[in-house]
Amino acid sequence: MSDALFPPARRDHHTGRFFDGIVPMPIKAEVWVDASQRALIIETTDITETWPLLDVRLIPDQADKARLVLRLHGDPLRRLVLPDHRLLPDLPHATRRAPVIQRSKLFVWAAAAVASVGLIAFVLVPLMADQLAEFIPPEGEHALGEVTLEQIRGALSENVDGVHFCTKAPGRSALDQMQNRLTQAMDAPPQLTVHVLDHPMVNAFALPGGHIVLFKGLIDKAADPEEIAAVFAHEIGHVVSRDPTRHALRSAGSIGVLGLLFGDFAGGAMMLLLTEQLIAAQYSRDAEAQADVFAYQVLQRAGISPAELADMFERFRSLGGEISGIEAHFMSHPALGDRIAQARAAVPTGFESRALLSQSQWADLQTICDQTSTFDQAQ
Amino acid sequence: MPDAAPAPPTPPANPNVLAGEFVGLRRHLFWLAFKTGILTVLTLGFYRFWMKTRLRRWYWSAIRIGGIPLEYVGDPIEKLLGFLVAVVILAFYIGVVNLLLMFASFALFQGNFAAYLLSFLGVIPIWFYAQYRARRYVLARTRWRGLRFGLEPAAWGYAWRSLLYWGLTLVSAGLLWPLMTFRLEKYKTDRTSWGTARLTQGGRWTMLYPSAKWLFIGIVAGLATAVIAFSSSPDNALLPGLAAILVLPFGLVYYRVDSLRRLTETKKMQEITLKMRPSSLRVFGIYVGGYLFAGILLGLIMGLVFFVTIGAFLGTAENFGTDTFDPEILFQGNHPVLIAIGVATYFAVFLLWSVLMQTYVTMPIMRHYASVLELHGADNIKDIRQRPRDEHIEAEGFAEALDVGASI
Ligand SMILES: [Zn+2]
Repeated sequence: MSDALFPPARRDHHTGRFFDGIVPMPIKAEVWVDASQRALIIETTDITETWPLLDVRLIPDQADKARLVLRLHGDPLRRLVLPDHRLLPDLPHATRRAPVIQRSKLFVWAAAAVASVGLIAFVLVPLMADQLAEFIPPEGEHALGEVTLEQIRGALSENVDGVHFCTKAPGRSALDQMQNRLTQAMDAPPQLTVHVLDHPMVNAFALPGGHIVLFKGLIDKAADPEEIAAVFAHEIGHVVSRDPTRHALRSAGSIGVLGLLFGDFAGGAMMLLLTEQLIAAQYSRDAEAQADVFAYQVLQRAGISPAELADMFERFRSLGGEISGIEAHFMSHPALGDRIAQARAAVPTGFESRALLSQSQWADLQTICDQTSTFDQAQ
Repeated sequence: MPDAAPAPPTPPANPNVLAGEFVGLRRHLFWLAFKTGILTVLTLGFYRFWMKTRLRRWYWSAIRIGGIPLEYVGDPIEKLLGFLVAVVILAFYIGVVNLLLMFASFALFQGNFAAYLLSFLGVIPIWFYAQYRARRYVLARTRWRGLRFGLEPAAWGYAWRSLLYWGLTLVSAGLLWPLMTFRLEKYKTDRTSWGTARLTQGGRWTMLYPSAKWLFIGIVAGLATAVIAFSSSPDNALLPGLAAILVLPFGLVYYRVDSLRRLTETKKMQEITLKMRPSSLRVFGIYVGGYLFAGILLGLIMGLVFFVTIGAFLGTAENFGTDTFDPEILFQGNHPVLIAIGVATYFAVFLLWSVLMQTYVTMPIMRHYASVLELHGADNIKDIRQRPRDEHIEAEGFAEALDVGASI
């Protein structure tokens, strides 16, 4: 190597360039290892530096692999540049990592970041959402439900137009009859918009603004219309207590906060998580229990046995292998076994049920998905 | 190309002029970007602070002026720390403000558009703020000849000026774009120092109009296309339409390159000046070539993965003696193996794309800029001295958390 900046030096001596970190001029230096002192000697015309061999570090990730850039541990400024790697074997700790000097600060801020994200996402935002849900006007709530419904339809389908609505007219009127039977049993029936989605998932959920969604899978697996009515009544219970509105407002605030912690490359995964959250609709144990109690009362007054809810829960349980993970908040707390027992216990002695749908109406409901549309007339 | 260091620069005829050069090899960068990229994926993104640090260290050390490289001394831990600080502050903003906006938007406008718009608009000033802070951090951790660069803390001033000039640019339908480019660059340059020496941005904003000539030609062609398409038949609009599509991207590149040249050549640090002769065509070629190459390569790889997957499924179906292969099952999306392949492909594509962008776009452009740079008035360097360290606790945390685009 005949670099003009590095003229050849004496044997075992190296010619380097020294930067003192104060003056921006490279200083020509003669460099050698002093074995007795176990140190690197850097001699310029003005100064002599003595760097203990154990404290000499390499500046890593250099684009020019021929040169060697060295620094002294604990000294942020001074640099020694050598034209080749001949000195490297003499530097035992050349590649040793710099100690983490801000370790405690780092832990404090890491804890603060996790705590503030957790507090905001899981405490502050839910608290605010619960308060705000009381004040959102009906039109706003309905619109929130529509947006959420579109998100879910999109997430459940690979098609651009999302999962289709089931719209066959006879099935629709059977469903309307079921809805009327339930709402007539209520003192103050909420405004409802009921949809059936053409999707095999055995599930149903309520969305803000009185939207209730039943999946084709649920209708297929139900043994009789009363079981569907039982689930229907449970969902109306959620609508009445505005669980979905609170939930949707919460996710609007929380997901963005959680997304902050991950870089852009996990962003796509975060969006999936968001919709999964919406579908899983993990309401609290209390909210589920309340919706169950609401369903018992409505069912009873509508002349349908609350035990139908227990039948449907048992069906969910027997389908357990088939319906995994995200399916139905029915699977979640309170423990399904308890809920089954409570539903059976809610049947008054000597209860007499009245038929809900005729055989032909039930057949109509079961074939409601023979005709589908991307737009639901129910709206 | 041999692995030895590139030939030493021939000493310039005039010792008062220092020539720029770029000494890094593409394959070294490829491995560095690939290695650190894999670690980033494996650590769910947390290694990215180390990745950025290492890539910058490499790039900075590859850029030499007068044979002496830049040095990047940023620390990944301080980046992580800065990111955490930014998260603490932004979590509140994003969580609470978004929730309130979402509520107000549905309550008042029955839709989420207003909320998205407002939360987008609300983030813009923070975005500019973050951009300036990130620049301050990077400059504070950049050294040349052992001396630190520095940028004064003035991020909010930059944020509101950015809003103002962006507003003017939008209102003037782009005619005042050069004004924005110039004033924002001047704001940053006039607050930049190297050691004890202060930089100043000379020139006038109107000097950037020649840089915008191709852009304006492209815009005129685009407008002509629209006018012709509406007034006569769309067939007649084909030619100007094609011209607009070809000229506009080049116009953008030309504007960036030529305005960079003009702004660089009018910067001054005591008696030290810079000269730069970049080629817009060359930079445009790097962009087109880089994106084409990366796109084709990734397309081929994904096609290969797709066919190998189908092949493997056909194979297993035969092995188990099941009836004919039903391609439907591939697209049901519930098969665990398919999910694994899907996730792996997503990450592989993400990783390869960023590595290819580093090696075929970022690096060649930097190499070009470095090799056409000259520093004049080198005599004055010796009188400059070191400046104190800028601690800058949250580093580029805001930019990191808000994903303010910077490829390295
Ligand atoms: Zn429920």
